[in-house]
Amino acid sequence: MKIAVLIKDVPDLVEELELTEEGRLAVDDMSFVPSEWDDQALEEALILKEGDAGSTVTAVAIDTGDVDNMLFTALAKGADRGVKLVGDFNREMSNRARAEVLAHYCHTEGFDLILTGVQAIDDLDGQIAGLVAGRLGAAHASVVRDVALGSTSVTCIQEYSGGKMAELRLTVPAVLGIQAAQKTPRYVTVSKVRQMQKSASLEEIEGESSEAPALEIRRLYPPVASSHAEMWGDDVEELADRIVNLLEEKKLLRS
Amino acid sequence: MGPVLAVLEMNANQLTDASQELVTKAKSLADELGTTAMAVAFGDEIGDAIRTLDVGKVVVIGGPAVTSYASLVYEEALEKVLAELAPALVLLANSTMGMDLGAALAARTGKPMLAYATALAVDDSKQLVATSQVYGGKLLAEVQLPTEGTIVTVIPGSWPASGTSGTPQLEDITAEMVPGVEVVRVMEEDSGADVDITRAEILVSVGRGIQDPENLELAEELAQAIGGAVSCSRPVVDAGWLSRSHQVGKSGKTVKPKLYLALGISGAPEHLQGMKDAELIVAVNSDGKAPIFDVAHFGGTADILDLMPALTERLQGRGQ
Amino acid sequence: MTLRVFLMILTVAMIMGSAALFIRRILTIYHVMQKARPVNRTDRLGERIKSVLVQVGLHRRMFRISFSGLLHYFIFSGFIILLIDVVETLGEIFFPGFTVGPILAPLVDIWVILVAVGILMALYNRLVIKPERFHGSDEKDAFLILGLIGAIIVGIVIHDSFFPFVAPEVLHVADPVARAHFLGYAVSRLWVVLGWTGPTAASIGYAFGYLLDMGVVFAFLAYLPYSKHLHIFAAVPNIFWRNLEPAGQLVPKPIEDTMAIRTFEDLTWKDVADLYTCTECGRCQAVCPAHAAGQPLSPKMIILQLRDALNDRLADKNPNAEYPDLAGGVIAPEELWACTTCGACQEVCPVFIEHVPKIAGLRSALLEDGIVDPNAQKVLMSWDRQGNSFGQPGRKRPLWAKGIEVPIKDARKEPVDWLWFVGDFASYDPRVQHLTQLIAKMLTQAGVDFGILYESEVNSGNDALRIGEYGLFESLAQKNIDALSKAQYRRIFTTDPHSLNALKNEYPKFGFQAPVMHYTEAFLELIDQGRLVVSPVPIRVTYHDPCYLGRWNGITEAPRQLMARCGVHLVEMPRHGAQSFCCGAGGGRIWMDETGIADRPANQRIREALALPDIQFFTVACPKDVSMFSASVTAMGVEEKVRVVDIAEILAVAIGLQAESSLALMTV
Repeated sequence: MKIAVLIKDVPDLVEELELTEEGRLAVDDMSFVPSEWDDQALEEALILKEGDAGSTVTAVAIDTGDVDNMLFTALAKGADRGVKLVGDFNREMSNRARAEVLAHYCHTEGFDLILTGVQAIDDLDGQIAGLVAGRLGAAHASVVRDVALGSTSVTCIQEYSGGKMAELRLTVPAVLGIQAAQKTPRYVTVSKVRQMQKSASLEEIEGESSEAPALEIRRLYPPVASSHAEMWGDDVEELADRIVNLLEEKKLLRS
Repeated sequence: MGPVLAVLEMNANQLTDASQELVTKAKSLADELGTTAMAVAFGDEIGDAIRTLDVGKVVVIGGPAVTSYASLVYEEALEKVLAELAPALVLLANSTMGMDLGAALAARTGKPMLAYATALAVDDSKQLVATSQVYGGKLLAEVQLPTEGTIVTVIPGSWPASGTSGTPQLEDITAEMVPGVEVVRVMEEDSGADVDITRAEILVSVGRGIQDPENLELAEELAQAIGGAVSCSRPVVDAGWLSRSHQVGKSGKTVKPKLYLALGISGAPEHLQGMKDAELIVAVNSDGKAPIFDVAHFGGTADILDLMPALTERLQGRGQ
Repeated sequence: MTLRVFLMILTVAMIMGSAALFIRRILTIYHVMQKARPVNRTDRLGERIKSVLVQVGLHRRMFRISFSGLLHYFIFSGFIILLIDVVETLGEIFFPGFTVGPILAPLVDIWVILVAVGILMALYNRLVIKPERFHGSDEKDAFLILGLIGAIIVGIVIHDSFFPFVAPEVLHVADPVARAHFLGYAVSRLWVVLGWTGPTAASIGYAFGYLLDMGVVFAFLAYLPYSKHLHIFAAVPNIFWRNLEPAGQLVPKPIEDTMAIRTFEDLTWKDVADLYTCTECGRCQAVCPAHAAGQPLSPKMIILQLRDALNDRLADKNPNAEYPDLAGGVIAPEELWACTTCGACQEVCPVFIEHVPKIAGLRSALLEDGIVDPNAQKVLMSWDRQGNSFGQPGRKRPLWAKGIEVPIKDARKEPVDWLWFVGDFASYDPRVQHLTQLIAKMLTQAGVDFGILYESEVNSGNDALRIGEYGLFESLAQKNIDALSKAQYRRIFTTDPHSLNALKNEYPKFGFQAPVMHYTEAFLELIDQGRLVVSPVPIRVTYHDPCYLGRWNGITEAPRQLMARCGVHLVEMPRHGAQSFCCGAGGGRIWMDETGIADRPANQRIREALALPDIQFFTVACPKDVSMFSASVTAMGVEEKVRVVDIAEILAVAIGLQAESSLALMTV
């Protein structure tokens, strides 16, 4: 199968997220890392490819900044092609705008299976998998794992809350939002990525963008943080009651 | 202005808690915006809970196509409902179904969308304003929403459900079969065996405070009652009371459960590294100065050997 | 045909046969070595010859286990004396009338006795003592060889005992040394009694003894290169080729492509020689912390598995045969990842086999294939992204320097005398940070002009390299070297032995040169210069030598002297100095899953300390040790018996910076 993995980088949450005076993210001062779920999607794609000699994996990223390293890393891990969709894009590009560009490219390329992370830490205006599938009118499922290839279809497990899940069969072309790969995303050594940068090249393709609805963000702000637990004292009965109430409130009780 | 529409989700013919919260919010927003609240439900066997929802109208989408959730079938049916009702706002839970439907519907209809909402309100200038959790909860985004069909997915538990009832008008429609997504089978995760602690949603984690291997039974019982798995800190493994597969921390597993109940764990840095990203951390330790309380959200200083049976009793009592 | 002609023809045939087999085998091995990676091991002749004399002639390392050392010395010296016998015996047949003279002749008999004693001791060792270190070795081969050696010495005595009769009556020559071979002479009396002194009986007896001696010698020669006893020939050159570079330098030169060992051609030629030199003595296995912890690693088995795999490939005639990967196939990932790179195996090996570089190279192959512990993987990614193993922002590295009374200079902005390379644990670990602050206060008290690189410092890369991630090591090293090159300083100071090792031994290959001192050396100097005045702290302690300080960098005296200056009474653990026992943290182990560990090395070490009389303090001189041993003491529940204390804390008490009652770590 012709598999695409849509990857993007997101602010590294290890670092403090700094805001500009206008209440925007200070993207210029931040370090970016590949979105962890996209890493899972890439791993799942590579596993599928390894299990099926005829499959190819294309890693696709929109050039919103420094994405070359991320694409070379994907190549070093085993992807066949690294595609950078170029155009007038920047770090603050919304997911809706991204989805337009990605859907257009995927449609042109005619991928059978499109994988991406189930979500990313910055998808305020919707998750890529659903947005791209909606634009393509393709079969899709989010929060999935254990993907398997058929001849003109793929199967996967979609997870619901409370331990429920369903096995789905989707006709290709299909878009999947990957929750977790079958194994931890593989490590790739620094020198392997470096070698890839020397020996391979990325395909730069002009990204076709079209109008997408935008949200008006009034402000971004950190939640009021408490650096210490709210203490509930030492009374066993009271503590037990409080914990049960908390579970109830947070919907963590089994119904 | 069109109605505020809540898209409902059922679990074993029961309305999910998250859906009830959506209805509550749809009703209050509709009142403030001067419009009506409506709901969409899927399935043929809707219960009284639906018939008595406190909304003006419930569209019930039934037929053999909707027996199990399949994205394309639900989307197509919903798209028709949206076209007909032209809602001002569409609310979905940020569940698997919500994530699937929300983004795809937004893309299909070209309406704006907002994910991960934790609050929705109408401000002084009658503008609809939402708050979303982004960047792993490190930031909140305050977003102004147009009332022209914006689709919002809401994080469950963001506000309480009111539980008021009403007599909605019911409209039945039948969903059409749409090829593309086929549900092969629906399964339940089998509990039991040696649970993978990295996958458990709730962890009952014990440390040195457990004192004796015989007390582990208390933790096992609690875990069973709460629907979680038992994990532990290193001393428990070093003592040979639990196998290494249960160990949380730098030399064990890194976990991110929905709830991490740390019992008798002081919180060595190696341990904290393995669990600090849990969504909710409740710690109970006799030493109120233990570092575990620096990462926990809620804490107590009771004796865990008393607390565990007390909790188990309450939880079992609820089940019956 | 006369006896002489018969034995001559047979001998020539045996010599040619065994020499052919011997040379064929050596050539095969030589061929593999030729195709292997280059390494310079023939420089510094003087040092090399001296080391051969000490290690071969005096059996320096062998005698660390006295019983084995002695028995080996007996058998080993027997081989030297055997040469006299071979010359004498061949001479007797080929050059009638040849004799080694009355002085050398009895030496043969003396050493026959010693070899016999050695063989008996070896049998006792293997059959009665049965050291665990032999587990996994080919014991059958050992017994075979002992049997062959036994056969040779019996043969010597037999042919010597018949020669006095054969010489005059069959060979028509004199035997001036008949009585000098006192063992042979004694046995010859038996033949007199039995009447086996006639030409026929004596010829048969002599031929039997001759063939038992020479026959087995040549059989030995043919068999040796195919067995572990190739070490008889290989040990001397292998010791000659030992590593004379700084021990702590894992990689001698910058690597262009990869350090991964996938084929035997990826080994250095010395690595190949190592494989054929291994005597299977298992001393490495006996000192290996991973093995002691119950993990599947034995340094000996790594060498033997590689050797056996190489032998299989050499024996295979099929050019297209496919073989299992060396890393992950021949040697299981669990074995490779269990290594703490503590170097105890290399330190103890009597024939100077280098295990750690092979393990690191094999790990590198696993890593390239993505086979790595998930926690270690996370740390590698943290080093790459944040520059530290804690997954913390780089900006937080100097946070410990905030909120203490003493100002810490920014060495990037102003010249300093001492540049302090702090390291990850000392910077980020909450259990170690207060020690770091203490060090800063002591430096200030001593009037040292010092500074740090603030957030420009990143992890030294020492452990990344030992995990097998050369590229990451190089990029970390480059960042540090860049930052260091912009600073002005006279010397580098660090509390972290891992950083010390990298800066001192691994960075010079990138052209970096600077004196690097461990804090124990530096503070010792400050005391001796009178810049710090100490008053005695009368406590009884034991001291754990960190692997990267003691074994890899030979810094064992400074910490001890520093404690002595502080009036501390030191009681040594059985394993100390270069023979110290690893805490289990090195080589990236500190971040790896401990599944499979039956008994943590750090716990074993604490028990070793607890066995000493009246020890209250377990002193350490490495931030990772503070972390490892504190955790062990807590996990073992022995906080009341022993406290883990960094030497810096003792010094702080000695110079009056802290009260003696402060000598306890925060128990977390």
